Amino acid sequence: MKHTQLGEFEELVLLIIGSLGDNAYSISIKEELKNHTQRNPSIGALHSSFNRLQEKGFLESYEGGATNKRGGRSKRFYKITAHGRKALDQSFELRASLYHTLPQLGLNNE
Amino acid sequence: MNNPEEYTPPKWADKFLEWYCHEDHLDILKGDVYELYEDRRENGSKLRADLYFWGDVITLCRPFAFKKQPIENTNTMAMLRNYFKITYRNLFRQKVYSFLNISGLAIGLACSILIFLYVSDELSYDRFHEKSERIYRVLERFESEGNGEHSASLPFPTGPTLQQEFPDQIAQSVRLFNFQSPTLALANKVADKAFNESRVFFADSTFLNVFDFELLVGNKETALDDPNTILITASMAKKYFPEEDPVGKNLELQGRQNLEVVGVFRDPPKNAHFQFDFIVSFSSLKQWYNGGYPGGWYWNPCWTYVVLNENVNPEQVEANFPDFVLKYFPDFVAEDIELELQPLTDIHLHSKLDYEIAANSNIQSVYIFGAIAFFVLFIAGINFINLSTARASKRAKEVGVRKSLGSSKSQLVSQYILESIFLTSLSMVIALIIVGLALPYFNALTDKSIGLAFLFQPVAISGLLGITLLVGLLSGFYPAFVLSNFNATLVLKNAHLKTSGLTFRKILVTLQFAVSVSLIIGTIVAINQLQLLQNKDLGFDQENILMIPVIRSPMGEHYETFKSAALQSPHIKSITAVEEIVGAKHQVNNYRFEGMEKSKPFAHFNLRHDFTKTFDIPMVAGRDYDRNVQTDDSLALVVNETMVKSMGWGTPQEAVGKRFYYRNELRGRVIGVVKDYNVVSKHHPISPFVLALNARPGAFNLFIKYVAVKVDNNLETSIADLNTAWTAVLPSMPFDYFFLDDRLNDSYQSEKQLSSVTVIFSGLTILVACLGLFGLATFSVEQRTKEIGVRKVLGISTPQLLVLLSKEFLGLIAIAFVIAIPLSYLLAQNWLNGFSYRVDIEVWPYLVAGLMTFVVAFLTVAYHSLRASTINPVETLKCE
Repeated sequence: MKHTQLGEFEELVLLIIGSLGDNAYSISIKEELKNHTQRNPSIGALHSSFNRLQEKGFLESYEGGATNKRGGRSKRFYKITAHGRKALDQSFELRASLYHTLPQLGLNNE
Repeated sequence: MNNPEEYTPPKWADKFLEWYCHEDHLDILKGDVYELYEDRRENGSKLRADLYFWGDVITLCRPFAFKKQPIENTNTMAMLRNYFKITYRNLFRQKVYSFLNISGLAIGLACSILIFLYVSDELSYDRFHEKSERIYRVLERFESEGNGEHSASLPFPTGPTLQQEFPDQIAQSVRLFNFQSPTLALANKVADKAFNESRVFFADSTFLNVFDFELLVGNKETALDDPNTILITASMAKKYFPEEDPVGKNLELQGRQNLEVVGVFRDPPKNAHFQFDFIVSFSSLKQWYNGGYPGGWYWNPCWTYVVLNENVNPEQVEANFPDFVLKYFPDFVAEDIELELQPLTDIHLHSKLDYEIAANSNIQSVYIFGAIAFFVLFIAGINFINLSTARASKRAKEVGVRKSLGSSKSQLVSQYILESIFLTSLSMVIALIIVGLALPYFNALTDKSIGLAFLFQPVAISGLLGITLLVGLLSGFYPAFVLSNFNATLVLKNAHLKTSGLTFRKILVTLQFAVSVSLIIGTIVAINQLQLLQNKDLGFDQENILMIPVIRSPMGEHYETFKSAALQSPHIKSITAVEEIVGAKHQVNNYRFEGMEKSKPFAHFNLRHDFTKTFDIPMVAGRDYDRNVQTDDSLALVVNETMVKSMGWGTPQEAVGKRFYYRNELRGRVIGVVKDYNVVSKHHPISPFVLALNARPGAFNLFIKYVAVKVDNNLETSIADLNTAWTAVLPSMPFDYFFLDDRLNDSYQSEKQLSSVTVIFSGLTILVACLGLFGLATFSVEQRTKEIGVRKVLGISTPQLLVLLSKEFLGLIAIAFVIAIPLSYLLAQNWLNGFSYRVDIEVWPYLVAGLMTFVVAFLTVAYHSLRASTINPVETLKCE
């Protein structure tokens, strides 16, 4: 199951792509990441992450939406695949189930 | 919204992105960075945006975006991979060939690497001193009409006086001295550890300035300044002072002098021409010579080294020596004395003088080893070429297919050269493993301590790579061209190929065997010569003789008591005392016999009564020294036969009674003549020789160094009896002895090494040559399977088949033998000329070598012929 493993950064990227819906392309993803996490990943880091996620089959992409700002060049939009969604679910379940096993530190100590 | 054309990102960054980025990604990525650039320009300065743009372009510079996807997609790489695959498949398809090919070359390479290590170690002697190029040893040639000595050591005052006389030329001098004694006794009284040590030297305080031996503890500048101080090596520190700090402790020398340890040497490197364990300050000697140094210019016991000033030629210095000799040396010898300078770095390989500190190696062995290394590599290289060309025709189809698919000639050439370089590299790796495994044994054989470290130096690494490449290229070159020249259509039509390169292969095989035969002959001659040298018949008895070092011991006063006590034992046959090891060394003294104008130097040595009895040397005329004749000690001499001849005294009987000058009066007489025996090793001819009786107890300080004892075969008991007698007179001295025949054998160490190394390496050479022959024979039989099939159907017998298949190779070997005869004769003649006792070159080594090669080669070929004769013709003829 090597390929279904999600890195922390990859998981974030995947989640953001999902939340952005139809407007998920490099710059918007970069902005969202910055807003939510105060991280400012380089455009190179993002692209190589997209690439990896595509290779793992968690993402698919299509081109379109050329703007003037880009000198008339099109954008590459990303969408989560079903496989990607499943990986996110699994990751969430794992975290949630582990989280519930934590002792209720705060309450007991008071 | 602003016009996007207003914002132009940095041109070079843009170009850089276009340069590296794959076109599939370019549009998207460029769009991204442009968009980011716009945003930044709208919210900030141009500089900032430009810098960020650069940053973005650089961070995008990642593998996924590259134009060139991993090189595996390109044609060249694919071809290279294919070449390797083919190499690999061929390697395993023809296992026997591959094994012969690679192992032969690996053995060849391993031999030459080992020899290279040996040679470079030999050449490295004494070069680790910073001043090694300026250090010279002073030599004394003291000869008259060929008698006398060429000495490596000089009189005490020479060094300092030279320095005093020529301060412009000579910067420093240092003397080494060891009483000319084979061993000196040292003792740590506190720990009760006493040993006889052979590597003890007294040295001037300049020792540490002239030579660069490293002190672990102690002050380099002052270490040897004070009397009664000693420096010891780390291993001696361990031996005498285990688990304590040696500095400040005392060692007692010869039971007479207390020396304080003031420093510890790192164990000195083995590639120095003299090896030491202890260095005693020179001023400590004064105690032994009534407060001064022996001042005479006749006795020459000090090895003297000088450091010349920068830019001073040794010739310039030597030009002053004749006058120096006249000024200082005593008149009666000055005329016969010449001083010389010998470069320090020449000593190990070029020096064979009298009184060397230790036996040196010689340059001839280096040449011989070098030649052997070259031959082994040569033969291994030839094998490689031969086997590859022979295999070439097997791969004709491959070449045909490649050619018809459009492979150019240059591609084919590079393929085969690459393949051969690959195989050579593989052999080199195996060779290095062999070297690593064999090095300890090789070191034991050659008495060296060569480490692998040398191979990791840049020079050696580049040398190894160079050799790999060279052998690979050379041996790949010929097959590559033969193969690439095949005609594709003919090859693919299965037409009969001309057995290409056959003549070339034949010439190479002939050469190989010529070299092998020469090596065998050379080895036999070397072994013969060694046997002659080691021949026990030296003219005196060397069996069961114990030598006990006694110089500077109180033995002088107790000699007669010891002798009569020891002779009580029935196992002890005879006892005498001598100055030097009989059969290894002599001294020189001036004598003036009747009819001579003035005294001349003669080889001589001092001894006590019963010398001829102990060593079983027959008297030819006259009598031996007699205990009952008091004047024998001064007024009588015994000489050898050569002396009688060279003085023109006629018969030995006539020589008895010849007179000589004693204290300037013609009072002494020759009383006896002994039969000639080998006074020194058989490297030298027997010279005129005087045996002088010296019965004074004081002689044990200088003129008598050993007590020699002849015992019977009951060695253990006799040694025990001797020990008892020894302890009775000298309870405080360690009883130490060696056997004469063992020591004499050591004189031929260098020849022994040479012959064992040649035996091993010429054996390997022949092995490698046979591997090659084996491969070729395999090949030739395979080529002719159909022919053999047809012949068998027609009823050929096995012996006939044997003749058919082997005559080709055996003919070549016969030619090789003819070539080898003059070659080896010249080489052997040349080597033997260096010996005064030498074997004649006889016919039988040639016959043996020829027969040996012939038999080995025949067996190799015969194996294949016999295999071929068992082939079922149906098998070989049924296809097609």
